[in-house]
Amino acid sequence: MKKLLILTGLLLSVIGINAQSNLTARQIAEKAKDISEVDALEMVSTLTIIDAKGRERVRKTSSASKKFGQQTKTLMKFLAPADVKGTGMLIYDNEESNDDMWIYMPALRKTRRIVSSDKAKSFMGSEFSNSDMSVPSMNDFNYELGSNQMVDGEECYSVISTPINEDIADENGSAKRVVYITTDKFLTLKQEIYDLDEDLWKVMAYSGYYVIDTANDKYMAKKMEVKNVQNDRRSVMTMDKIQLGSSLKEEHFTTSYLEK
Amino acid sequence: MKLANFIERFKLWIILGSLAFTVAIGVALKDAEVDSNLKNFIPKELPSRINSDRMEEIFGASDPVMILLKSDDVLNRETLLRIKRITKSLNRKDEVSKMASLFTSKDIKGIDGAMVVDPAVKRIPKTDEQKEVLRNTLKQNTFAYGMIVSENFKYTGIVVTPAKSIDDQQLTSVVESALEEFPGEEEVLYGGVPYIRKFIEQDINKDFGMLMPIALLIMLFFLYFSFREKRGVLLPFSVVILSIVIAMGLIPLIGWKVTMLSVLAPIMMIAIANNYGIHYIARYQELNAKHPNMSMSDIVKNTITHLKAPTLMAGLTTVVGILGLLSHIMKPARQLGVVAALGVVFALLLSMFFIPAFLFYLKKGKPIASFSEDKKSFLATVLNGIADFVVKAPKTILIVTAVLALVAGMGIFSIKVDSDSANMFPADHPVKISTNVINEEFGGSLNMNIMVEGDIKDPVIMKAMEQVELELDGFKGVGDVFSIATALKEMSKAINEPGDPFYNKIPDSREAIAQYLELYSMNGDPEDFEQMVDFDFTKAIVTIRVSDASQETTKAIVAKVEEIIKGFQFDNSVGGYLLMQYDLARFIVQGQTNSLIFAVLAIAIMIGIIFCSFWAAFIGSIPLLMADLLLFGTMGYAGIKLDTSTAMLSSIMIGIGVDYTIHFMHRYRHQLSSGNTAAEAVRITLNSTGRGIVLNAFSVMIGFCVLFISAFLSLKLFGFLIIFSILSCLLSAIIIIPALALVFKPKFFNKSNA
Repeated sequence: MKKLLILTGLLLSVIGINAQSNLTARQIAEKAKDISEVDALEMVSTLTIIDAKGRERVRKTSSASKKFGQQTKTLMKFLAPADVKGTGMLIYDNEESNDDMWIYMPALRKTRRIVSSDKAKSFMGSEFSNSDMSVPSMNDFNYELGSNQMVDGEECYSVISTPINEDIADENGSAKRVVYITTDKFLTLKQEIYDLDEDLWKVMAYSGYYVIDTANDKYMAKKMEVKNVQNDRRSVMTMDKIQLGSSLKEEHFTTSYLEK
Repeated sequence: MKLANFIERFKLWIILGSLAFTVAIGVALKDAEVDSNLKNFIPKELPSRINSDRMEEIFGASDPVMILLKSDDVLNRETLLRIKRITKSLNRKDEVSKMASLFTSKDIKGIDGAMVVDPAVKRIPKTDEQKEVLRNTLKQNTFAYGMIVSENFKYTGIVVTPAKSIDDQQLTSVVESALEEFPGEEEVLYGGVPYIRKFIEQDINKDFGMLMPIALLIMLFFLYFSFREKRGVLLPFSVVILSIVIAMGLIPLIGWKVTMLSVLAPIMMIAIANNYGIHYIARYQELNAKHPNMSMSDIVKNTITHLKAPTLMAGLTTVVGILGLLSHIMKPARQLGVVAALGVVFALLLSMFFIPAFLFYLKKGKPIASFSEDKKSFLATVLNGIADFVVKAPKTILIVTAVLALVAGMGIFSIKVDSDSANMFPADHPVKISTNVINEEFGGSLNMNIMVEGDIKDPVIMKAMEQVELELDGFKGVGDVFSIATALKEMSKAINEPGDPFYNKIPDSREAIAQYLELYSMNGDPEDFEQMVDFDFTKAIVTIRVSDASQETTKAIVAKVEEIIKGFQFDNSVGGYLLMQYDLARFIVQGQTNSLIFAVLAIAIMIGIIFCSFWAAFIGSIPLLMADLLLFGTMGYAGIKLDTSTAMLSSIMIGIGVDYTIHFMHRYRHQLSSGNTAAEAVRITLNSTGRGIVLNAFSVMIGFCVLFISAFLSLKLFGFLIIFSILSCLLSAIIIIPALALVFKPKFFNKSNA
């Protein structure tokens, strides 16, 4: 009995039970993940990369994503700038293993696979890293609750996630993330990402949430912005057009379709 | 007697005033700062400097440290582990902004139709087989082979770029503690501009700490052996000390910084400042020995009256000669000119006022033995011998002089210019050693850069950059050439199969180039190309690494580059440290010639005015021309190159060396007007003023002797050459001038003293 009590005590302190809602940090993180997960989606988005001197690089893309079993497949086409227009990408987002990526270059009429094992790598030359853009594997991290904070006038949980080991930390290039999730709808409003020395590295902000799927109560942010506080570069991703669901079939998410 | 009476009357005020003035200026010394940046030797208005500064501003390059590790095989597990740990540890330091080593350099390759961008060393090999696989991979890697690992795999480099506003001291101590934290068997060398600057700063401080006390000590001994009297030592010596304080105090007072050339200022003061005082002491001792009945006051007054004219002339000509440095293009050389000239002016005033003012307070000392007839000193014997020789064979002397001048003159044509700052250090200096390794194993320590402007993704521009690389490949002295075009070609090899028309080629369409780069951005780091192309692809840099920075090789490379870029139909500019050094060297020759002509002309005019004669100007400048011919002839024959320090030789030498001629001519004229024959006048002059002249010259030479132990090779050479030329000035003054006087009997010598 005594043993059990100690064990429970330990467990309680580890998972950090929230007094108000009785949700653990991990449960909050999972809810935040669920709230924005949809099975299929089509959108036109703009990625603006801004350097410390304020110069911009703009990438406009249209994309379609669809979930097939455990795999989310994304098909993407560049609309602008003109010199990369028609460049296509195909991404297989594997839940528990490395992603598969292909790129089609119309000027060469060639499709090439991209080997990407490094989640810390930049996403299309922006300040977003691949791990910022994809959904993390829940089991790779430990979750802990900090005290609630106000973000943009809304009360938020602060969920602190740390990699379970150094390899995962190295792979993500980050030793700690603090995610601010609203207490009412579980929307992620802000993330603070710390580098391997636990110095603040990037701050990500999400805005323009709206209901994309009323039936399943799913939300989507229209704008994501990341600021690298160490080199003063910024990147902004805006979702210009979003449509729930996709008419594309699984055979469309292949390299041969990419080249069409 | 007006001046003498004035000095006697105000002696206390003169002494106190001199001391107070020195203290007032000396206070500024506490604010003195050292500037070790060799780049500041290069004038800001030089086109290559303007271009280089602009490139640095755009590409934000700050000078990195290069750590070189040497081992039998750098692919050994222990060595690689050490490099990995050092890289990782340094990468996490706030002081460091960027790292490059085998673990961060990129390897762009194609595997099964995929472009893979990996670190040059992804995994540390465990077996010999894996090690050889890695070796072969590295040999294929354009960005690593011969760039970050030497081709014989004995050296590898770790490049550490500092974060903003981190100074050399902070950076080097972080680097060194990282190497201590992860010890190993490998031999470690440090290189790169921060280390060069650090060593220069250390050496400047070492030079000041070592050279000054030693030079002063030698000077004390020299003065004691010359005069064997306390006042003969202390009075000239105090003039030296006060002048050093003034000259050095002026540097921070004007708002300048202490540079490598500033080391010369106190040494020059030690050598020059006592020149005038020595004549006062020599004259006082001469009168004291020869006229036992004269009172001290009369002796001092006679000395003042007799010496005021030649001292003033000698001092002013020295000042004018040193001011020749003002025509120099290097700012530190001009600063040295100003500071040293003002120091000499002060020393001159002290010698003319402070020394006699002090002498008025003293009692007569014991007469010095060397003036009595029976006990001839060695110096007196030598001077007597010279007088005999000159009187007997003046024509022979002039013929030998003419032949010597001709032979030396021919040597001038083989004189070479050296602008490679690495040569300032002796062969065993850490900077020199690491520079040599970088030159031999890593393609070169100095860069020349071509910046192109326009639409960088345009195939025309991209192919032009490739052309630079192709045409300079294998060119003498060129180590590596790389640009974004090099990277693009590597991508083309990774994406396309051999035999494919796109393989190893800059594509012909802008779209294809853009798509290569887009593909790269999917799996490389955004910073990978930061040093080759700017953010919006409007400016790119071609880097040419040069391993042989000699003037001849650089000249050929510069000409080749100019030929290549002539065909460029878009904006471009050329810069880089190599080019700046090359330009600087050209201006050094120009500066040398300018200051030489200026100094000789100015001094000739001054002598002409003093003696009211064109012939005096002509004859008086012969020793200077002779010394210059011998100096540059010797440099030409001995292969000593003109560099930043030796370029200042003639100005300094002429300013100092002319004194001996003036003292000789002045006394000689005095003797002629007192009714002596020419031959008698030569003998008397050599035996009287000759002593002061020789002591003066030797005190200068001895003063400059300490430069032999300077940490800077070029200052050592400077020391040797200045001593050599002072000696030629001395010999010219006491041999050639009397020979000319005896043979040509110029009329101006017969005019009495005005």
